Amino acid sequence: MTKAPASRLEQAAPPQSPEAPILVFDEEMYLRLNPDVLVAVAAGKFSSGRDHYERFGRAEGRLIAAPGVPPCGRVILTAQPDQVAEQPRPPVGTIDAIRISPAGGIYIVGWVNDTQDRLDRIDLFFPGWSVSFDGASLGRIRRPDAETAMGIATPHAYGFWGFLYTARRLSGGSCNAVLRMKSGAERSLMLTAETAEDQEMRNIALGQLAQAQYVGNPYFAATASVDAAIGAQLVDFNQMLTRRAVNAPYVERFGRRAASYKGSIIVCLYGKPEYLFLQQALFSRHPAMRDYEFIYVSNSPEMAETLLKEAKRCSLIYGLDLTLVLLNANAGFGAANNVAAQYASSPRLIIMNPDVFPCDQDWAAKHSAVLEELPGRQTQIFGVPLYYDDGSLMHAGMYFEVDTVPGLTPGRKPETSILRVEHYGKGAPPETARFLRSRQVPAVTGAFISVASDWFETLGGFTEDYIFGHYEDADLCLKSLEAGRAPWLHDVRLWHLEGKGSVRGPVHEGGSAVNRWLFTKTWGELVLGELLGQEPTHPALRAAAEEEELA
Amino acid sequence: MKVLIVSLYHPELVRGGAQQIAFELFEGLKQKPGVEPYLLASADQNSPALFKSGARITGFDGRPNEFLFLSQEYDYGWEKGGNLLLVEAFKEFLELIQPDVVHFHHFLTLGIDLLTLTRRVLPEVKIVFTAHEFLSICPANGHMVRRTDASLCTRASAVRCHQCLPERPPEHYFMREMWMKRHLDAVDVFTTPSRFMIEHYVAWGLDESKFVHVTNGLLPRATPLPAASKGERRNRFGFFAQLVDAKGLHVLLEAVTLLRAGGFTDFAVEINGDNIHFATPKRREEIEAFLAAEEKLPLAERIVVLNGSYHHDQLRARMARVDWVVVPSVWWEIFCLVISEAWSYGRPVIASNAGGPAERVSDGVDGLLFELGDARALADTMYRACTEEGLWETLAEGITPPPSRAEMVEGFLQVYAADRVVKCLAAV
Repeated sequence: MTKAPASRLEQAAPPQSPEAPILVFDEEMYLRLNPDVLVAVAAGKFSSGRDHYERFGRAEGRLIAAPGVPPCGRVILTAQPDQVAEQPRPPVGTIDAIRISPAGGIYIVGWVNDTQDRLDRIDLFFPGWSVSFDGASLGRIRRPDAETAMGIATPHAYGFWGFLYTARRLSGGSCNAVLRMKSGAERSLMLTAETAEDQEMRNIALGQLAQAQYVGNPYFAATASVDAAIGAQLVDFNQMLTRRAVNAPYVERFGRRAASYKGSIIVCLYGKPEYLFLQQALFSRHPAMRDYEFIYVSNSPEMAETLLKEAKRCSLIYGLDLTLVLLNANAGFGAANNVAAQYASSPRLIIMNPDVFPCDQDWAAKHSAVLEELPGRQTQIFGVPLYYDDGSLMHAGMYFEVDTVPGLTPGRKPETSILRVEHYGKGAPPETARFLRSRQVPAVTGAFISVASDWFETLGGFTEDYIFGHYEDADLCLKSLEAGRAPWLHDVRLWHLEGKGSVRGPVHEGGSAVNRWLFTKTWGELVLGELLGQEPTHPALRAAAEEEELA
Repeated sequence: MKVLIVSLYHPELVRGGAQQIAFELFEGLKQKPGVEPYLLASADQNSPALFKSGARITGFDGRPNEFLFLSQEYDYGWEKGGNLLLVEAFKEFLELIQPDVVHFHHFLTLGIDLLTLTRRVLPEVKIVFTAHEFLSICPANGHMVRRTDASLCTRASAVRCHQCLPERPPEHYFMREMWMKRHLDAVDVFTTPSRFMIEHYVAWGLDESKFVHVTNGLLPRATPLPAASKGERRNRFGFFAQLVDAKGLHVLLEAVTLLRAGGFTDFAVEINGDNIHFATPKRREEIEAFLAAEEKLPLAERIVVLNGSYHHDQLRARMARVDWVVVPSVWWEIFCLVISEAWSYGRPVIASNAGGPAERVSDGVDGLLFELGDARALADTMYRACTEEGLWETLAEGITPPPSRAEMVEGFLQVYAADRVVKCLAAV
């Protein structure tokens, strides 16, 4: 039997003794010929290619040196196929960017094909510190670019992004990032983490949430994507920014400084300074307004100079008493109003949007009459009918509905439910009596809330967890309802040019997605139990309805 | 009685009808015993040399009782002055002068909110506001011409204004109306130079009882001239206006084209005016193309001649060259001082049948009216004017002298003297 020509594999057979030198072992070539070994060495499982060879490679019959000039178009076996242990295959994917903010926010975005082998975690190794993102904590989004690159036509959430708030100063720079899969497979990448200012970091994360493409309805998908972890992290991070924004505001008073007023109208401004002079012009037409003071709180530091000039101008022309509270950044609706409330000199706070104007010139007199003539429990917290510019009703109290979509992805939550706030009588003819009569309602809009100052304090003011603004009004009303005082609606009419009083961009949409999640998480159980629909059965509302019937 | 007249611009610095009337009134009041008039005219970057460092209100060229309001940072969106120091200066000026009457002839470059400030500073003062167009109603230059189809607008609303100016949502125009009315609320008496304007303002929601018609009047400076044409036909037409869209020069040029196409060329048109750079690009292109083509024709074949702008002193010479004055305006044309000037020189007017001209020109008595914007109707009217024997003479005879300055001053003095309506809702 003619012996077949010896292959390089055979020629390179190692000596029996481990001490004996391997004359032809080529470390670099070994790693090149065995990419799975390269990954394993990079991950620290083997100290070197040779270490692998000693422990497994030899038995597997792996090549240790280049097989000469390989012929083109033919497969060259570099080990005996049946001898090679099944190695986890490194995932296809990458990390596009890592951003670090001074206060300890970490943002990561990338994509991975984990349809077969789920992403388990992402480890980031920086000089001096490391951190891991749990795969389940990541928001999953579509990446059409990756779908195209992989030639996959079926939409799938290959994309991922994550956000962590570590509350400690971190340095960016070079980072060894490892995508680890459930199977143990992994991909290691070297990246440079860029820094981002804290506010920019919030905007990046919220912008991502709002603008990402999702598999399924974005309204639900965006909200669901923050449920595991991102929502809570963003709320914490936002609270930190809020605390900073309300720190040491600039405050200036214009006009008289009366010892006390019948009411303090608090208006939170954002992005549109003109509403200050418009409100001053239109509210100042009636003498009863002398019993009220305005407190404008600005979430837009860039408007500070304009607002100061306008406030002084308004003081000269209209003569209402006015306090301007200028915050150094956007603290959001809740925190800004809470700060402004500290400067109020009356037992009554009126939370009002900048795009709210009086329908009737004697608005203030009517409001004062409600306070003086009705029982205290009916005025502790109340709203009013609001009208669109087209003359139809915009708001006559709020109620709650829930939207649910089934989750059809195996291994994910069976369904996603989101609470929705609706307005009684939206778009109804202006004189629809059933919407205008005084009555208790589950909630009233933050465009106008009249609340006793001490009750506002008892409730802890607006919850400051919500990002920018949305749902704080319903949240305050539900806190009041839970504490035994459902809000009322009394017929003192105002215009509300809904949505025109401030600017809105993608980051605000992102904030709203987080707020939807937070509001549902906080109040879902109560609302789903007793507060759903136009005629909810909550005892606080039922008792009032019965009382009304008796009356 | 101290009367403070607040004017958009000084006619010495920027020409224009509203400021001319304000100034004529000021001059007329000076002649009246017991009346001490003051004129506060705005100046803006049209007159940069008159801005003095740190000054907001200054005197004007050594003229007694004439002052300039040095407008800065005007907010055209809300018709509101942007500069706080100007507000303070105006307040101080009112306190210094202590007028019995403040007569606003405009709010542009001044700020509509100065009306409310005036009421606050001088609660007892009589505030008179003369509307020279519809700027408080119509954010589209106050013309009340729909930008959607160039039709005349009779009703402003949030949605209709948004259709004309879609860059802002309807809510903005809803707000604008509330804002304007809030400040007009400070006014005791509104006057308009034409009666039809009152209908517009009342339809918009202002109180009809506050409105008084006081005509615009000029000092008589002219005497009727003989016809310019020496032949049988009265076939020379003059256009006297700025070359902006609203004045309708394009309608006149279209009429010329139609007449020429119909084989009628025995007439001449002289254009007097400038500021074509304020016309829309489309109209400007049309007009310039027409005039360029006209210039290429042999002299004997030219019908239209562009004489350009003119000083008031040149008006007589320009009027002497024409038989008829054509007012083809395509907006409401509030009063039309050109009609007064034409009549002063004995020129019958051919005008669009809307607004001030329709109110002033009696068709077939002292002039001729044609359907607004209709070039063919204007062509027919011009043909008739050229060919109907004795028409020009009849109409020229029918002209009554235009209202004089004295009539205007008397009208305003009656307004100043009437009891002030006590307002139910005093300003805070």
